[in-house]
Amino acid sequence: MFHTKLCDILNIKYPIIQGGMAWVATAELAVAVSEAGGLGIIAAGNAPAEVVLKEIKKAKKMTNKPFGVNVMLLSPFIDEVIEVVLAERVSVITTGAGNPSKYIKQFQEIGTKVIPVVPSIALAKRMEKLGADAVIVEGTEAGGHIGELTTMVLVPQIASEIKIPVIAAGGIADGRGFLAALSLGADGVQIGTMFICSTECTAHEKYKQKLLRAKDRDAIVTARVSGHPVRVLKNKFAKELMKLEEEGITKKELEEIGAGKLRLAAVDGDVDNGSVMAGQIAGMIKNIKPCKELIEGIIIEAKTRLDSLSKFC
Amino acid sequence: MEFEKIVKIIGDHLGLDDVSKVKPETSLVKDLEADSLDAVEIIMSIEDEFDVEIPDEDAEQFNNIGDILNYVKAKKE
Repeated sequence: MFHTKLCDILNIKYPIIQGGMAWVATAELAVAVSEAGGLGIIAAGNAPAEVVLKEIKKAKKMTNKPFGVNVMLLSPFIDEVIEVVLAERVSVITTGAGNPSKYIKQFQEIGTKVIPVVPSIALAKRMEKLGADAVIVEGTEAGGHIGELTTMVLVPQIASEIKIPVIAAGGIADGRGFLAALSLGADGVQIGTMFICSTECTAHEKYKQKLLRAKDRDAIVTARVSGHPVRVLKNKFAKELMKLEEEGITKKELEEIGAGKLRLAAVDGDVDNGSVMAGQIAGMIKNIKPCKELIEGIIIEAKTRLDSLSKFC
Repeated sequence: MEFEKIVKIIGDHLGLDDVSKVKPETSLVKDLEADSLDAVEIIMSIEDEFDVEIPDEDAEQFNNIGDILNYVKAKKE
């Protein structure tokens, strides 16, 4: 069911990719997703190259299935991280926070698939021209760093303009969202928030519980003034930040205040003073389940939904 | 000639009503408030218009419209 061209390109069973969430997407989560038939991703975030290397080596010991690494192009260690990912010949690299054009060729030469996150049609076309294997089209519903446009409007527009597979991201956490994404022209989906609430995810238990308690309107946008808006769950830290923004905090001050806050929440479990990044779909997530159950649940629900929709014909 | 074409592309993309104040020393980002995505769109339109390739590594070095103009001229020669 739902075997798309993305499955062939990435050599995976289901067209479901796990989001590259810094401090959350460790080898354990990536392996669980890949073993369940999706594509697991290790997030490099702002971590030094040796930390990324350790995670890659750990994942290789745990699975023979393909997995990827997400590199954050604004990382202070970006060049070293790129070298590690090249040397380890990871199956797939996804990129965020910028334009990865100067790296694409090196990865292609060794057979690593390159999948950039794109926030606009122009960048999607540019990435296709430079040889990207697919693009992740991420709507503003997503958690963490976000763009302006919604998944609903951006996915079909980009899908009409390029020939390489489109992976829809932002606001997807069940079979209905998965099926909707395919209807919009996507060849697969990337899911982040839901996978935080998986048994295998190593994020702090308090982070997971905070997500499970989230209601529909709890994922808000902070740091708009900085030009790099971030979606987080409402908490003490987010409210303080919004107050400071109203008072006219500068970009630099904002960056200083934000530094290390995701780690504080995701690793140390301080969900009051840390940054609890999550997508708008957090309100729909009510249980912690193994990745295999989550992924198979999506496929089964999508099939059921497709059957019920066909009754309208 | 090339300059006017480039200014027209930029004006169309950014929705500028009056392009008479756009000069070679005008910066897309600092003066015309273009963001990085606007810049990608503008560079791609210029590539189409003049039938040249502008790799991102080169585009990153542009400080103003004059730099784009000189680049395009050099490529066309």
